[in-house]
Amino acid sequence: MKMTPSLIILGSIVVFAPVLLIAVILPWVTISDAPSEIHRPRTGIEQEGRRIYVNNGCTYCHTQFVRNIDWDLGAERVAQSGDYIHDRPHLVGTARTGPDLSQQGGEHPDDWHLAHFINPRHTRPESLMPTWEFLGMERIGALTAYVQSLGFKSADYRVQRQNEWKRKAVEAFEAGPEENVRWMHSMVPEPCTRLPNPYPTTEADLKRGHRIYQGFCIGCHGPIGDGMGPAQPHLYPPPLNFTILKDRGITGGILYYQIMNGITGTAMPYFKRELESEKIWAVGNYVAVNFIGQSDAGGEPRGIAASYEPPRQE
Amino acid sequence: MTLRFLKDEPYGTTRAFFLSSALWFVTGALMGLTDATHLSAPELLAPNVSWLTFGRIRPVHTTTMIFGFVGTGLLGAAHYMIPTLLRTSLFSERLGKLSLWVWNLSIAAGGITLMAGYSQGREYAEWIWPVDIGILAAFLLMFWNFFQTAQRREERILYVSVWYIFAALVFTWFIYFFGNAVWNPGSGAITGMPDAILAWFYGHGVVGLFLTPLAVAIAYYVIPIATRSPLYSHTLSLIGFWTILVIYTHIGTHHLLQTPVPTWLKVLSISGSIGMIVPVMTVLVNLWLTMRGRLGYLHADIGGKFVMAGLVWYILTCLQGPLQALPVIQRVTHLNNWVIAHAHMGVLGFSGIIALGGIYFILPRVTGRPIYSQRLADIQYWLVLLGMAGFFTVLTAAGLVQGHSWINGEVVYRTLPQLHPYLVVRASIGLLLVSASFIGLYNIFMSIYGTRFSRNTP
Repeated sequence: MKMTPSLIILGSIVVFAPVLLIAVILPWVTISDAPSEIHRPRTGIEQEGRRIYVNNGCTYCHTQFVRNIDWDLGAERVAQSGDYIHDRPHLVGTARTGPDLSQQGGEHPDDWHLAHFINPRHTRPESLMPTWEFLGMERIGALTAYVQSLGFKSADYRVQRQNEWKRKAVEAFEAGPEENVRWMHSMVPEPCTRLPNPYPTTEADLKRGHRIYQGFCIGCHGPIGDGMGPAQPHLYPPPLNFTILKDRGITGGILYYQIMNGITGTAMPYFKRELESEKIWAVGNYVAVNFIGQSDAGGEPRGIAASYEPPRQE
Repeated sequence: MTLRFLKDEPYGTTRAFFLSSALWFVTGALMGLTDATHLSAPELLAPNVSWLTFGRIRPVHTTTMIFGFVGTGLLGAAHYMIPTLLRTSLFSERLGKLSLWVWNLSIAAGGITLMAGYSQGREYAEWIWPVDIGILAAFLLMFWNFFQTAQRREERILYVSVWYIFAALVFTWFIYFFGNAVWNPGSGAITGMPDAILAWFYGHGVVGLFLTPLAVAIAYYVIPIATRSPLYSHTLSLIGFWTILVIYTHIGTHHLLQTPVPTWLKVLSISGSIGMIVPVMTVLVNLWLTMRGRLGYLHADIGGKFVMAGLVWYILTCLQGPLQALPVIQRVTHLNNWVIAHAHMGVLGFSGIIALGGIYFILPRVTGRPIYSQRLADIQYWLVLLGMAGFFTVLTAAGLVQGHSWINGEVVYRTLPQLHPYLVVRASIGLLLVSASFIGLYNIFMSIYGTRFSRNTP
């Protein structure tokens, strides 16, 4: 084969054109542009927020597609191409230094996002995300609107649920500590409210609880559990001051349930995806021992002792 | 003033490209170190300074390294190889310098606008429209210069390096044009999943059909000369050349295997990715049989030594590439630092180290005297090599930690403390690369403008 400039140039074009046709144009014209069942168009402020997301490179750490092997946020719904029909540019992303955001909408209330954008470590103490305070309140608002729209109709449903429960949570908070604690306990399914922490307090257990508290709780509830963590100024209702739980019927079961399930409508997220059973019991007991000053760990009624447990003090 | 910047002097274009590449290496390495620091300690470096934030610096790092450091170095070498292999002089040194100015200003404008918060948001295609136009114009000017040089050639037979350089310019121009959706100036994108497909057709092609052919062109040029041995096979050259053009272009969708793109396209991209073994091994076997038994010659030449190291990274990258295109492997390796390690192998390990090899091999031939300091070039060689090996080890390990945690049901947030030590080590390794880039800049600057060696030393 005698290679000449024209052969190379024309040959390259002859190779390029069919490849572009097969690998780009063919999928482009054949992919359906029918919306998925959750899809809806974005509002003006959501588009504006998306623009901020693009310009600041959020996509380098956050994907926007859920895979069928995922366990994390949004794993309840695997991505479909009908979710993306209005996306320009696409933001499916290639790295998960932070969580996937395709179903982020309604996961948290707006005030959680405000605290988190001002400084991500306010709500997520071990986050690697940059601080976004420099964007200013208006742009943080638009970004929040966009993030709250991720998941489209499913997100709208979740956001609406956040707002409903926020109203009730605010009402309870404003009625004073007595009423607030009563309301919170009443939201826990009855069998849990009567359940003591079945595992006895040990030094190792408190250390584990301390580690979990620092990684997950300290941003809102603060280092002494008084609800004055750095996120507090941005949150309403404010984070719980644990000391008000004393002598108000708190049990290990209530702490466990609230940590596992969160309190939708407030900034308190659920931790059942992130913490295994042992860690939830441990951090609950850490709070009970150190901040409430009342722990029912290892108390009656209790079942057969787990095999690791030290001898019980009768 | 204009005339001084566009001064007509033999090989002036190549020298200016090399110096620009060295400057971009320093810039890109500092950007990389900045982002590595952010990931190790998010509030250590100026939190709340908009233009220094991770998401804005990250595309400046990638585009500066791809186009600035590696691209400029490779193109500089092409401006030497084309006239030399065609036994003529460059059609116009002035045009060459003009193309470099357009090129450099576009890259600089791209970086500044990204830091100011103007991005099109698609990886390696983040630059806004005016910058895209500048890059496309620069490619056209370079193409015209090469084409006119070829028209005036004394040598009738085109050596394989020349094929790769012409094909790289043609492919890169089209891939850049379509990939940046230049007909949509506002967004630089199309809509929906087709945009993801287009963006990865581009994202993969812009390294594979811009950096790879130019780096391979340098290897084909340097190795026979440095080892004083004729190229082993013309047939293998032909096979390697045409197969890379056909296969490499098809495989961008392997970045999207876990997203809802059509299954037939995934199958095409996976088969193509495995097929990449053909062009890669053809080229490497051809070069290996050329240099066999003569590695001593290659390592006696500082440029040859860099090229050899780059080829070793080429083998590793291109064996890893097909492997990680398999869906079963991607379940662990996708979306985490494993891929970041792979990207560094391709751009820094393979094409970046070969670009440096091209610079050090060609510099004495365009200045008429040895490089300023062999010792500094050697130190740079070891710093880049150790840094690259370190990046590969640490980032691959971090990626495996992430990938395995996720499929075991750990959430992303829980894996962050596990990543921390790796990210700190990665940032420290970044210091090696930053030092290497400064040493390279000093050495290249002094080789061109220094006075330690007189002009008439061979």
